[in-house]
Amino acid sequence: MEQAGLVKPETLDGLIKILHKIFENDIINVEEVQNIMEAYASKPQEWMKFAKFDQYRYTRNLVDEGNGKFNLMILCWGEGHGSSIHDHTDSHCFLKLLQGQLKETLFEWPDRKAHGDMVQKSQRILKETNSIGLHRVENVSHTECAVSLHLYSPPFSHCQTFDQRTGHRNTVRMTFWSKFGERTPFWSQLL
Amino acid sequence: MELFEGASGVEDVLDLSHLNSNSLNFNSIGDKRRKDTRHLHLSHNRLMVLPDSIHWFTNLEFLDISNNGLSVICEDITRLTKLKTLLAKNNRLDEFAMPKEFGTLQLQVLNFSGNRFEEIPAQFLELQRLQSLSLGGNRLKSIPAEIEKLTSLEMLYLGGNLISTIPVELASLPFLTYLVLCDNRIQSIPPQFTRLHSLRSLSLHNNLLTYLPREILSLVQLQELSLRGNPLVVRFVKDMTYDPPSLLELAGRTIKSRNLQYSEEDLPSHLIRYLDLASKCPNPKCAGVYFDSCVRHIKFVDFCGKYRLPLMHYLCSPECSSPCSSNPQSDADSDDDQSVPADRLQRVLLG
Repeated sequence: MEQAGLVKPETLDGLIKILHKIFENDIINVEEVQNIMEAYASKPQEWMKFAKFDQYRYTRNLVDEGNGKFNLMILCWGEGHGSSIHDHTDSHCFLKLLQGQLKETLFEWPDRKAHGDMVQKSQRILKETNSIGLHRVENVSHTECAVSLHLYSPPFSHCQTFDQRTGHRNTVRMTFWSKFGERTPFWSQLL
Repeated sequence: MELFEGASGVEDVLDLSHLNSNSLNFNSIGDKRRKDTRHLHLSHNRLMVLPDSIHWFTNLEFLDISNNGLSVICEDITRLTKLKTLLAKNNRLDEFAMPKEFGTLQLQVLNFSGNRFEEIPAQFLELQRLQSLSLGGNRLKSIPAEIEKLTSLEMLYLGGNLISTIPVELASLPFLTYLVLCDNRIQSIPPQFTRLHSLRSLSLHNNLLTYLPREILSLVQLQELSLRGNPLVVRFVKDMTYDPPSLLELAGRTIKSRNLQYSEEDLPSHLIRYLDLASKCPNPKCAGVYFDSCVRHIKFVDFCGKYRLPLMHYLCSPECSSPCSSNPQSDADSDDDQSVPADRLQRVLLG
């Protein structure tokens, strides 16, 4: 029986099957997940049906619910679209670019007593990442869209967002623009 | 380089993109195919010119010539009377590259991002049906006042340029829903933005803004506002210089506040016009007006309990206080009473 870590995912469906296998175990090897995500070669015709863009802001499009152990989703970023500074509650976040580029800025956790600008840790252009902690992700291109594949384990529905100027934090509920290729109705979106 | 017709399975789409070719010859495309084609993809080649024969595609509605080496657009493109969408991103085009009669086209969507425009060409401002205009990532130094001619405009993307001021006329666009001005050098937003009733999303991040006009609160449709990367003032600035009002201003204030009647028979027309320009002091306890002489006052407003934005408005004298608080001294502190209701501006991306 072959180990999941040695198989290169040929298709998006193949990747999902391998991920399901990996997450059957209770203990997950972070590096294994990272390698599998990296190994998938992006083929637009496979993920195009999930890549629904919105003119005004980036969208989160659910691809697979991972039997409750993980969420796999595709984010679509129009020109200039960016996220707020956010954490991932206590989940692991794996990110891989399928098209275009994203800039990631990592931040120090603000001291609850301190006021004033949040401290930037680092900035880089992403191809893929496995991040813990606070970051802002942006498509800084004025000409190209970006599409990224995200895996979160365990899945989470709330996270904190931060005001860069003051470190003030806020809990927000995450919503999906579409699920499994179908646009989710407006009434189910809040923030 | 000769091209084969069977490039795409769908009859009205002709895909000649990503062929790495530096010239195109449409001779091999049959008459019927030329007439049937509605969508023509020529992006990601190495074209230096767009062939004149482009006009053979008489029913063309969508043309993508992005990611080539074009430095000029041929005049024959103006013969494509049904063209609705033109994408020409990432070329070497500037305002001198556009054909003279370009403004006669019936375009609805125009994307010239990633080029070398230093000015918005006059021909673009003739496009009455234009709904979406993108000139992101160019070298624009300003926005012309004639932008108000684009009365159908809903989407305007000008991010990544060198713009330092915004003309008041931009606020005259009645259907503008999405306005992107990020990554520029903008120092202030005109208070006339209050007229942009349809504005849903405003992108201002990475500019030189220190405050916003108070009038921004009246944009009831606004759901997204990005302000990160601006040097927004965080504390009230106490020293605001105040020029004493002129005699003309004092006379004007008296006439207005005492409701003295006047007509064109009493006064020369330039004074009538001056009196019509009176602005009401926002302080509800003050029935005063002001003309040119006023105090700029910065007020911090809480948005949904999340973010504090510095908003600026004008008061008629230093003795007047902001409508937001009864005690002018409290403006010096960080805590404010005024807050915007939670259903407004839910997605302020300040953070």
